[in-house]
Amino acid sequence: MILKIKIPETVREQINEADDDRIYYALPVDINRESMYAENSYLIVTTKRILLFEEGKLVKALPISECGNAKATARVGQGMLTIEQNGTLTLLCRFSHGLIAKYAYIARGINILASGRFEEVESNEYEPSCPICGRAIPGTSKCPHCSGEGGIVKTVRRLARPYHRSLFGIAILMILASVTTLLNPEIQKHLVDKVLLEESPSKSAAFLCLAGMFALSLGIVFVNVAKSFYSTKLGARMSHDLRGELFDKLQATPLSYINDRRPGELLNRVVSDTRVIREFMETVFCNLFTVAFIFVCDIVFMVILNPGLALLTLVPAPFAVAILLAFRKSINRRFHLQWVKNDDQSSNLQDVLSGMRVVKSYGNEKSESEKFLRLSNEYARVQMNNESFWAVFNPIIGTVLGLGLLIVVFFGGKQVLEGEMTAGELLQFMTYTTLLYQYINWMANFPRALMRLKSSVERISDVLSYNVAKKGPGEAIDINGEVVFDHTTFGYKSYKPVLEGIELSVRKGEKIGIVGPSGAGKSTLINLLMGLYEADDGVLLVDGKDIRTLDRKSFHSQLGVVLQETFLFSGTILDNIRFARPEASMTEIIAAAKIANAHDFICKTPGGYDTYVGEKGYSLSGGERQRIAIARAVLADPKLLILDEATASLDTESEYLVQTALSALTKNKTTFAIAHRLSTLKDCDRLIVIDGHRVAECGSHDELIAAKGLYYELLTAQLQMQKA
Amino acid sequence: MEDRDKTLTFFESEGGFLGVKLGDNTYDRVRAVRLFPFTDPAKYISIRVGNDMGEELSVIEDLAALSPEQRELVERDLDLNYFLPQIKEIISIKDEYGYAYFHVVTDKGPVRFAINMGGTNVTKLSETRLLITDINENRFEVRDVTKLTKKEQRKLDLFL
Repeated sequence: MILKIKIPETVREQINEADDDRIYYALPVDINRESMYAENSYLIVTTKRILLFEEGKLVKALPISECGNAKATARVGQGMLTIEQNGTLTLLCRFSHGLIAKYAYIARGINILASGRFEEVESNEYEPSCPICGRAIPGTSKCPHCSGEGGIVKTVRRLARPYHRSLFGIAILMILASVTTLLNPEIQKHLVDKVLLEESPSKSAAFLCLAGMFALSLGIVFVNVAKSFYSTKLGARMSHDLRGELFDKLQATPLSYINDRRPGELLNRVVSDTRVIREFMETVFCNLFTVAFIFVCDIVFMVILNPGLALLTLVPAPFAVAILLAFRKSINRRFHLQWVKNDDQSSNLQDVLSGMRVVKSYGNEKSESEKFLRLSNEYARVQMNNESFWAVFNPIIGTVLGLGLLIVVFFGGKQVLEGEMTAGELLQFMTYTTLLYQYINWMANFPRALMRLKSSVERISDVLSYNVAKKGPGEAIDINGEVVFDHTTFGYKSYKPVLEGIELSVRKGEKIGIVGPSGAGKSTLINLLMGLYEADDGVLLVDGKDIRTLDRKSFHSQLGVVLQETFLFSGTILDNIRFARPEASMTEIIAAAKIANAHDFICKTPGGYDTYVGEKGYSLSGGERQRIAIARAVLADPKLLILDEATASLDTESEYLVQTALSALTKNKTTFAIAHRLSTLKDCDRLIVIDGHRVAECGSHDELIAAKGLYYELLTAQLQMQKA
Repeated sequence: MEDRDKTLTFFESEGGFLGVKLGDNTYDRVRAVRLFPFTDPAKYISIRVGNDMGEELSVIEDLAALSPEQRELVERDLDLNYFLPQIKEIISIKDEYGYAYFHVVTDKGPVRFAINMGGTNVTKLSETRLLITDINENRFEVRDVTKLTKKEQRKLDLFL
């Protein structure tokens, strides 16, 4: 993201830059004090000052040395930048929602400057819309419009490189197709002028012409079939290869990259964008050269044949294109509307059907059916409108497109009658005209298809060109079990820290219980420990080594994780336990299952260890799934254990079984356990309470109770609930 | 407990934010939160401690019951917390490759914004009331679609 925008000269002049006082950041302020949209207003941060300009005039200048604790916060539909000036909280400026992330970086930048350091904050986040053309950017680093034709051509060429030979073959086929198409009218002319209109038409010559025409038609069919076949094959192969490449890349990118994107967006890149490329190859590319070649030759031949008539034929062409485009736009609008109405109707239907119990129990059947009828009626109305529009306008479009032919017949016919043109030539001309108008539709569609391709290619190459930070192979580690959080700060969104300055050091073999209200950052802490995200600030050390420098595979192989909702892969119990260590022997697997209290229930299933657990393991109960996950962890023999609400969704008996399994597993291992039910944490050596983004309390159970702080409150609340 | 003075007295804090006196307590920073931002923006305002919406001090059932000065103070804080421009006039809507570009006049001045076509970015609050969310999560309201001209309504048709 750009944190220093171009500011007008008139504003710049008022800043009085100096060698030791240069501009660090400059952002627009788009909401003014009267809650109206503001123009020509800026917030500018220099080395020593914070300057606020309204309507091009300097209205506020604060020395950074007096400031601190700058913060960008999100409000409904807007955001604000606040600062503490000499300890008093002050509002600096307001801005629309799109600027919040940028202001969050600036706030960080101000705090750095205020603390006497001079480094400049940079943002790797993408701009949501193009600073050049103002268009929305489809989640890529560059705008597909402004990246320039050079960019896209280069990318397409890069993507096409492995397929050069197929592409070349298809290009030859395309030219062959156009040549055969264009030859036909020539023979027709010959047939009419030189054979049929002769004094004594020779049958054999006529047959020869017919045979030629037949052979050509056959040729066209062959070439076209071959062309479509190879284009489809190539399209399928290209999109397959790209899907594979994308998938590999996505697995290699850090989770934060995936989290920064809207859900489904990356799925779309793998599924839809590769499909767009395939469709482009199948429907557009396979005709690209054919159409271009035919179009050019067609016009050239027509001009050679009869320049005047050629000109006349071309007159309605721009007209036809304009009408076609307008028609398509209207059709798109109409059918989109129809689709929306249909969607409304089905989502209402689904709503009511899945909520039938509620509807019936409140006796609301009548009003619900009225609502549905209204939606259904609306849908029917739109559909009827659309169908009649289609029925009326489609033939009209056909007529407009046939206009060129009409002109040719009229003027050409006149010329034939006046003897300026032969009948055969007229026939040839008419065929050319038909060909020309046949492809106008295609040509009118082409820019749209190209833009679609461009967006998709841009999105795909954006993922492919994402530089997965090359850390080298990383350091292999034999985890001992000592973990230190040193001033660790992290947030999923730049303007919303979840954890701030976490300080915690854990000895080898210590069991740490993590408690706190929902949303406080417990799971985030664990995500950092699992290496799924990297801290924005501060470090996380395992055995004294920065977690970022460790070899991921080596680190993760020594990490055991049991989550609240256990994910089992579709496969057998054996497959799932063995997932942690594929080379484990049967004896080891049974031993692990016994430790996890899973052996007995597995024995009772008809398939034993070969029981198929079904999609996500839904044929097993929650407790059973959990114990399989524990067996998996036991088998891995991890050095560091993470339990995230491992027993929260279980009934009392399963919880007991899982608890005993867990205590066997956690023996002598550094363990981090999150739990809502505090009783499950009684074995922990130390408990930490996370609240307000920080470690609010830390100590043993007894210490925390004696302190009568947050933990004490939580505990008494839970005890009271149990009594009640 | 019953005797406790429940009247809130608002004041402007040193930094320009909303503060309140409640009985013997003075809070330098409170926030006013709408409980029904769409159905009744001027009623049921929750007053919460701190910058981060802490404990609730009270709910003002109707702003009209406050004195004009007090009311203005609360309204100013509401303004800081909510920004929902109402679309009064649609100059143009251009759709291009999955995005729709709006150029509109709102009660907060003219503005241009873009929305993603492929989602639920235009929601119906009622039959005639729309909420539009743009790609930056800015929100815009059309209070009454029928108040727009027929031509403007047709431009919006695509999103209904």
